[in-house]
Amino acid sequence: MKYLLTGAAAAILLYGTALFANESVLTETGKPEQWAIQTGDYANTRYSELDQINKDNVKDLRVAWTFSTGVLRGHEGGPLVIGDVMYVHSPFPNNVFALDLANDGKILWTYKPQQDPEVIAVMCCDTVNRGLAYADGMILLHQADTTLVALDAKSGEVKWSVKTGDPAIGETNTATVLPVKDKVIVGVSGGEYGVRGRVTAYNLADGSEAWKAYSTGPDAEMLVDPENTMVLGKPIGADSSINSWEGDQWKIGGGTTWGWFSYDPELNLMYYGTGNPSTWNPAQRPGDNKWSMTIMARDVDTGMAKWFYQMTPHDEWDFDGVNEMILTDQDFNGTPRKLLTHFDRNGLGYTLDRESGELLVANKYDPAVNWTSGVDMDPASENYGRPAVVAEYSTEQNGEDTNSTGICPAALGSKDQQPAAFSPKTNLFYVPTNHVCMDYEPFRVAYTAGQPYVGATLAMYPAPESHGGMGNFIAWDNVAGEIKWSLPEQFSVWSGALATAGDVVFYGTLEGYLKAVDANTGEELYKFKTPSGIIGNVMTYTSGGKQYIGILSGVGGWAGIGLAAGLTNPNDGLGAVGGYAALSDYTELGGQLTVFELPGDAPAADAASAEPAAEPAAEAAAAEAPAEAEAPAEGEAPASN
Amino acid sequence: MQITGPLALMALGLVMAGPGLAQTSGTTETPPAEAAPEAEAAAADAVPPPTETEPGADVTAEGNHILPNGMDITADYMENGRWYNAEGIPTFKIDDDVVDYAVFSGYRRYHAECHVCHGPDGEGSTYAPALKDSVLKMDYYQFQEIVASGKKEVNAAANQVMPAFATNKNVWCYVDDIYVYLLVRGTDSVARGRPAKKADKSPEFTAQEDACMNG
Repeated sequence: MKYLLTGAAAAILLYGTALFANESVLTETGKPEQWAIQTGDYANTRYSELDQINKDNVKDLRVAWTFSTGVLRGHEGGPLVIGDVMYVHSPFPNNVFALDLANDGKILWTYKPQQDPEVIAVMCCDTVNRGLAYADGMILLHQADTTLVALDAKSGEVKWSVKTGDPAIGETNTATVLPVKDKVIVGVSGGEYGVRGRVTAYNLADGSEAWKAYSTGPDAEMLVDPENTMVLGKPIGADSSINSWEGDQWKIGGGTTWGWFSYDPELNLMYYGTGNPSTWNPAQRPGDNKWSMTIMARDVDTGMAKWFYQMTPHDEWDFDGVNEMILTDQDFNGTPRKLLTHFDRNGLGYTLDRESGELLVANKYDPAVNWTSGVDMDPASENYGRPAVVAEYSTEQNGEDTNSTGICPAALGSKDQQPAAFSPKTNLFYVPTNHVCMDYEPFRVAYTAGQPYVGATLAMYPAPESHGGMGNFIAWDNVAGEIKWSLPEQFSVWSGALATAGDVVFYGTLEGYLKAVDANTGEELYKFKTPSGIIGNVMTYTSGGKQYIGILSGVGGWAGIGLAAGLTNPNDGLGAVGGYAALSDYTELGGQLTVFELPGDAPAADAASAEPAAEPAAEAAAAEAPAEAEAPAEGEAPASN
Repeated sequence: MQITGPLALMALGLVMAGPGLAQTSGTTETPPAEAAPEAEAAAADAVPPPTETEPGADVTAEGNHILPNGMDITADYMENGRWYNAEGIPTFKIDDDVVDYAVFSGYRRYHAECHVCHGPDGEGSTYAPALKDSVLKMDYYQFQEIVASGKKEVNAAANQVMPAFATNKNVWCYVDDIYVYLLVRGTDSVARGRPAKKADKSPEFTAQEDACMNG
């Protein structure tokens, strides 16, 4: 028996106890017909109970309708659906559109913020934005310039707004936010500008600041309790961060928080990871650089840290730890446990006990990973929890002005922010990955406020002696720590996955394909080429009782930097360079939402409650779809909100 | 090579903002070999000093050392460890595939400071132009000005903003190195990727670098 913490389960729990709430988020994410926050649910499973579209009929999928955002930059994240309204966001300038799903997608309102374009100049890797969130009748937008805006979901009116950072010193935002209880929690980007990372909680009612927790610095500013904040079962101790840096480097030491947030209502803990220490030249920052590259568990009411685990002490490769933390309740070697699964940039797939922070599994999820020989799993060892660094690939040991070659993965990681999905039906994680290696040469840099602060030069190329492609889409067993199956992809898979009760897993590719594969076997069941490369995340919802799949196209982001012109491998020897595929041979810029459907009308059970009965004649094509029998039990008319 | 619509627009903007060399040098309309005399006369009008290889022809061709913007990239003399042409504009020197140290330095700095927007090897990205092409069209002083002051292209079709780097020593102490590296890439004088062989770093180069970074 499995114990998946779905939004629905959490909602039931909450209604029963009425202890902790953001009632609205739990309620809305608990309805499978909606998509109320970017991650689908608080547990970040990206799993939907919808099953009208299933592995038998997904081959008949077709485009239902499309919508252009009017912006030609990288489109990350995805739309939300609350009731009959879809909310679509764009990259900078971060426009928001509310579309009436009951009225052919007519635009109900538009929000176009006025942002100083100078912020674009301090965004390291394209002007992406990973999307909106919903809470208490408000749409929450965290803009590139770090303005957090609460919009009335019905009218688009600004209810309040607050500045969470300062672009003049390189602070920007690309991430979504976490609305939880009476607060909304935000992060900050700028690890390549010497920004000091932190998360900040604002009160949902009026945007006033509730608490702020830095990733580095004095205990009081990190909201760390030397006795009660735990690290691998032991108290963290006093001045843990300050003691792990030389001088004041921590003040410009990174540890930014531009990834995803998850939340466990039962434990009242939020989970997220911190980014790279600044600079990329490890020689300029001796020490473990705590708490960069760390999984953090914090009480959402106070921000106080419950436990930390630093995955990559003293980073030497830019392996930010910001990727999503997926919360599941599963059997672990015969015992039901509350787990946290995380696919890190460093190429290791981690499974931890999310209550205690105990490390259970740390295995490579791409066989190409070579910078470490593995993590010390012996609790009695003084190196417990530390990865053993292979000297050949250590940019610290090889030193400044030395080019370390053949390091796998590359700085963009075996996986970047593109989120994985989990299906409680298969107990597998579906992970979009990169299959790229690099050469890395660190050198001395000077810090100037608001200017790039990098300090290394990189060359990236497809993993050698493999299939030649730059990505894989894998299924992962987080208990065994094993790859179940792996689908080679020509380019990095930079799209967030979606798993559904229809036993289908969806993801997008950089060429622009939306793909559907069998959740058990990985067999490709359907693909369709959208107008531009996909770096957005697949979502699903129902409207009028019928299931739809939505995905944003619009190539860009980190992937648009290296892959646009193709990559080269300098180690192939003279004359052999330049042979790898260029993304520009496959796709162009775009900014489009594509929504997919099955032919025919909604299954009778759902349609009856939502819309006039379907024309029987139109049903012939859909006859093979066993939809009626598998209509969602919770099927009801979408709430008008 | 232009990769995207907005990039093409931007490159066009650069050509139009330039001193007109690109338009007059015949890049867009190369007269056919058997062109009528009038056409040749017109072309001669536009390009005052006839050169041994036609400006704007394939700059990667063997023996051509005139860029579409009219610059002669022939290395003339070395000063403080860097090469210059006869007009005192920074350029590069490659002997038997060995690049001078400034080119290597430019490769390194480019891939730390520029590549997150402009892509590897000056090839451009989905949202920033291919600088290996830009340096063939704009002149050295325009290049310096854009690096120092930044550039803005914000309208209905584009949201491109380049920061000003004049106060950033990691860029500004190496701006000439980045420039000559991009010339090397634009003329395809060495293959993409890390230059395989480089000349030693001279004491003069080191002295100037230290003075700039510590100054």
